Amino acid sequence: MKPNSIIYLITGFVLCLPAVCYAQLERERVVTSTPVEDTFWATKNVGISTTINPSGNDLHSSVLHTFGLVDGGIDRFFGLDDGANTRLGLIYGITDRVSIGLGRMTFRKVVDVSTKMNLLRQTTDGSVPLSIALKGATGISTLSGLGLEFSDRLSYFTSLMIAKKFNGFSVQLSPMYSHFNRTLGQAQEDLLGLGVLLNVELNEQFSLSGEYLPVFGDRNPGTEDAMAIALNINTGGHVFQIFFASSQWHNEQFVMANNRDRFWEGDFRFGFNIHRVFGLGGR
Amino acid sequence: MRFIMKIFSVSIFIAILMFSTTAQAQSYITETGRVSFTSSVPLHSFTGRSEHLNGLIDLEENLVDFYIDLQTLDTGNGKRDRDMYRTLEVEEHPFAEFTGSLTSSYDPESAEEQNVTVTGDFSIHGVTQNIEVEGTLQKTGAGLQLNASWILNMADYKIEPPGILFYRVDEEIEVRIEAELELQDDETNET
Repeated sequence: MKPNSIIYLITGFVLCLPAVCYAQLERERVVTSTPVEDTFWATKNVGISTTINPSGNDLHSSVLHTFGLVDGGIDRFFGLDDGANTRLGLIYGITDRVSIGLGRMTFRKVVDVSTKMNLLRQTTDGSVPLSIALKGATGISTLSGLGLEFSDRLSYFTSLMIAKKFNGFSVQLSPMYSHFNRTLGQAQEDLLGLGVLLNVELNEQFSLSGEYLPVFGDRNPGTEDAMAIALNINTGGHVFQIFFASSQWHNEQFVMANNRDRFWEGDFRFGFNIHRVFGLGGR
Repeated sequence: MRFIMKIFSVSIFIAILMFSTTAQAQSYITETGRVSFTSSVPLHSFTGRSEHLNGLIDLEENLVDFYIDLQTLDTGNGKRDRDMYRTLEVEEHPFAEFTGSLTSSYDPESAEEQNVTVTGDFSIHGVTQNIEVEGTLQKTGAGLQLNASWILNMADYKIEPPGILFYRVDEEIEVRIEAELELQDDETNET
């Protein structure tokens, strides 16, 4: 066959291609880059906030409990007879990146309002390598009979949360600052800390996580750095966190200001958190 | 010989152009079709939706071809969506797709709503099954209006129904699609 003949045949074949290709639609993805899922499994690990925010128009509810020290033995039923510090919380996702929250805990009857904003969210395609969130909160002690002015009851907290997930292993660093309008004795009005959080996914249903919160600079006398380890259970509808923690307090500024127990010396307590998300999208 | 090859090639070229124009004259497409599904758990049900259904109906070629990016499905609950994407393994199998043909008669000249049946391969979660779907087609001013629904059994596609505490999502899901397909114009035909 002459070269020209080959050229004509190839030309004919190429001209046929559009008709062949046209037979079926070309598959194209609409969503090509998505945020990395479940860097941590809830908006709080045990006591420290994570970069996780509820999606827009979702309502996240949580119930947090911590009991007495387990070293009370069977007589104190390992701390469960010592009463719980319970915090009930709601967080509403205004958008996928911005939320507002409301909570109330037993100790000092503190009501807190908060907001969290995701400045960056790590993506699956690596175009955004890590997640960064900013949180601000105000706590108001509603204990009666103390003769306190309203401003004396206020405390403030802010934290920058920087997290990254690597194939089922997540780490977060959370530099944080808190301020109490009024303190007693030698207590510090201002506290600085660094939350260090880890999460290791065992499978889709279970993960192990831990947190450590050293306080830097001047700290309240007798206080210790807080620590906790937790088993996270994702049932599909809920996330349960069963943990041992040194601090019985819940909000970070109170953990930094009040924890007096050393985890590594056996001074820890049992606790569990329950997280549930409700979609308010009307479906 | 050279002259014959020239004539032969030009003839093929013209024939292809004519064939292509004829075929595409009855091709209808959409990129904004709607998909919804309803899933049930005891005492509760929820609906997921997407408005990113891509579809082609080519009456000349008797080709029906639809697909959707599963990550556009939205149930109104972010965590539930993420669990759904994980269950469907959307990173490995991003599309649900159907390719088949009309197996019932359809009169393209009639403006009446007509019951139609399509048969073909439906794929999701990396599993393909041959299915038959009943629906309606109606000629409209701009193209075709399609409505169809069928029951998808998750076990047929090796999809593990997500568990919630001690019960599980019902294996059977009703899937509905609605699409207004537009007649392809000449500009589209050239691509």
